[in-house]
Amino acid sequence: MAASMSRPLEYLESLPGTTFKKLYQQPSTALAIFRRMLPDLAKCFVMAMLYLKDPLPTSDLEKWVRSDSKRQRDNALSILGRLHILSTTLTDNNVRACMVNDPFASSLRQALMGSDDAQSFGVLSQTSNESTITVADLDEYARRQWEGVLGYMVGTSGLGQRDINLSKGVKQLLQAGHLVEIRNHHVDITKDGFGFVLQDVNTQVWHILILYVESAQAIGMDSVEVLSFLFLLSSLELGQSYDKKGMTSVQLRTLTDLADFGIVYQESPDATRFYPTRLATTLTSDSNALSTPASGSLNGPGQPGIPGTGFIIIETNYRLYAYTSSPLQISLISLFTNLKYRFPNLVTGKITRMSVRRAIDKGITADQIISYLLTHAHPQLRKHNAGQATSSSSTMPISVLPPTVTDQIRLWQLERDRLKATPGFLFKDFSSLADYQTPCEYARDIGVLVWKSDRKRMFFVSRHEEVVAFLKSRS
Amino acid sequence: MDTIDASEHYELGTTEIAPSLLTVIIDTNPHAWATIEDALPFSKAVANILVFINAHLACNYANEVAVVASHLQKAAWLYPVSHHSQKPADRDGDVVMNGDSNGPQTSKYRSFRLIEEQVNRSLKDLLDSTSNDDFRSNTSTMLAGSLTLALSNINRRTIAWAEEHGGTKPDEVAGDGGGLATANGSAAVEDDRSLQSRILIVSVSGSSDSAHQYIPMMNSIFACQRLRIPIDVCKLSGDAVFLQQACDATKGVYMSLSEPRGFLQYLMMGFLPDQRSRRHLVLPTRIDVDFRAACFCHRRVVDIGFVCSICLSIFCEPPAGNECLTCGSPLDAGNLGGKTGSSSEKEEEEEEDPPSKWWFGGWDANVGACDSDSRALNIIILDLFNEGWNLH
Repeated sequence: MAASMSRPLEYLESLPGTTFKKLYQQPSTALAIFRRMLPDLAKCFVMAMLYLKDPLPTSDLEKWVRSDSKRQRDNALSILGRLHILSTTLTDNNVRACMVNDPFASSLRQALMGSDDAQSFGVLSQTSNESTITVADLDEYARRQWEGVLGYMVGTSGLGQRDINLSKGVKQLLQAGHLVEIRNHHVDITKDGFGFVLQDVNTQVWHILILYVESAQAIGMDSVEVLSFLFLLSSLELGQSYDKKGMTSVQLRTLTDLADFGIVYQESPDATRFYPTRLATTLTSDSNALSTPASGSLNGPGQPGIPGTGFIIIETNYRLYAYTSSPLQISLISLFTNLKYRFPNLVTGKITRMSVRRAIDKGITADQIISYLLTHAHPQLRKHNAGQATSSSSTMPISVLPPTVTDQIRLWQLERDRLKATPGFLFKDFSSLADYQTPCEYARDIGVLVWKSDRKRMFFVSRHEEVVAFLKSRS
Repeated sequence: MDTIDASEHYELGTTEIAPSLLTVIIDTNPHAWATIEDALPFSKAVANILVFINAHLACNYANEVAVVASHLQKAAWLYPVSHHSQKPADRDGDVVMNGDSNGPQTSKYRSFRLIEEQVNRSLKDLLDSTSNDDFRSNTSTMLAGSLTLALSNINRRTIAWAEEHGGTKPDEVAGDGGGLATANGSAAVEDDRSLQSRILIVSVSGSSDSAHQYIPMMNSIFACQRLRIPIDVCKLSGDAVFLQQACDATKGVYMSLSEPRGFLQYLMMGFLPDQRSRRHLVLPTRIDVDFRAACFCHRRVVDIGFVCSICLSIFCEPPAGNECLTCGSPLDAGNLGGKTGSSSEKEEEEEEDPPSKWWFGGWDANVGACDSDSRALNIIILDLFNEGWNLH
């Protein structure tokens, strides 16, 4: 699962069940979680069961899914269970059946059919627009603020970039999240911070928002309220202004804080309405092109808001050409590249073993480098490689970046990365081989198995709850 | 620890999943809806379809939808509607909405509401514009026209989408199904990269009505087949021959509802999964597909007919003057008249390329076999069409 999806998922999973009950009261939250967190098959299950009066027998569900897709089915069911969306019950005639849990089901139904209760999808501002804010304005504002945050972290504000006034709250949040450290009044980016700046914008926003929710609890704001407000923001429409009337004090405070990040825009903190920016409205979208327009426009003015615009070209000889003049992007690229020439709109350089090792020493992983390159790949690069792939009848996945480069970056990392730690749980001392095999297979099917040894009858999983439940159900 | 091997290239799965475009074709034939008025009134059916559309949009941020009405005399767009033909939808539409609806508008996700209002408005316009004459003079529905509209829209959207996204996108294989990478064939991999389109036909009219549209319908179906667009059919009453063939040829879902009251549940369970999810699901399809064709001369649905060997046109009886009505090739009727006279069944006629030469005797031997299994014969005919023959 991609990083951008798993982080919010992991955070949500860590919440207690009662929090979910509260969260799912809001139709917008139910819709956002349904859309953002669930794999395709899980969405099908939820929708199929949403309008059923009686729980669906598990055997029927099994029949519905093809036998060779058992793994996908178990994975989907496991995620649904972890998010407290689906629960299994016993019907009257002792058949195991599953159903969509209530606050979620009724909220999702409300989202689909509409209802007459409160403003769960925001109130459009009624005031006439004397000063209309266009989508381009919003994009520009979001870009400026977000780049300001990143620039503050990387320390490019000295490179002739316009200084963005970052509020104290933003700086504290970055510090609390261990993305930056302040030593002798000097901002130093941490290892986590390096990882952070190389991610795509959508992941970054989620990262920040989760930090925000965590810190909100510390200063006495209700994290559930903040979280459901974030999901509400994600369901708003870009280019529309929304009324602040009827919002609680927690929500208003959140709004002010989010404005510093460029996630929402308001003319002044006292304005009666606010505009969500693209950073907010694409929070619950999967689509890369929609989630990275801000990064597309980061590569310089002139082409703001064009979805999916990349600027990096890599050749198989490890040469890198980046059509950008943004000091932020250049300093990001220079983290793992030996830059050679710089032109007004282009920098060129070469990815070498030394440059990659230098980056890895700073705590950047090969995955992060590759995903950065991928997110910002030039359309020409995409087109070129896609064209090649269609002409050859390969069954291999088509790669945008030259495979030799990505593999080599991985190898350079593996050169020094010989140990990998995975926190988890070891199951051992099984009395018979059969006792060992079934839970082991189950763990593999739901995707939590990390390691196993048939000879020693041991296996190691990253999460144990379901395996334990499985073992209990069998004993 | 990851091991290095050449077959596995490291690719990061972005969550890039191509959105899907669902085109719903609603059969708005009032005659047919009147017959199932008790079980499922039209208004309720539309409401159900709208919930279904919302569910589709809820599945992915970028999912798209189009709705076409297949009416008595014409096929009409319900959503999206081109701007010059109606009140401006988006920007100015807001002002109107601010004026007329204050309370309930806020409780609904905005894009859901926009579509709902648009569909209801255009549906009302459509029904208002239907004159009594139209109503009396016509009992069938313009299914072929709707299919064509849907197809052209899909084509346009697919091209626009591909352009917007710089050709095809990488790594959906890894991102597929939320990271459940499956080793599918390259064709499936290919499909994942472009906009996923499918068509759902909510049909109520019977088959005899649509026989006169046989040729345009089959052409649309073959176009879908070629573009790998599944046609799903939800049949509320009656059973349509050609729609069964459409589902069968395009690998779509065919469901004939025995209990139209559960319409929404059928939609949610059977028709909501998109192509990606369908790979993992057991789909309701028909095994006993009705493969009958309609003749080109009288638009009758025939079990067995005469086939022109040049252009593969189908006739229920030898055309007048023994000339193919489509391509004009002279056909040798031979001792055919006697044949049809002696046995009441119709027979297959085949003609060798120089028209003067005949292989009738050879075919005569096969006639018995064909009679016993008329479907097999028609499968052969259809398969021939599938090779890429164009019907005129």
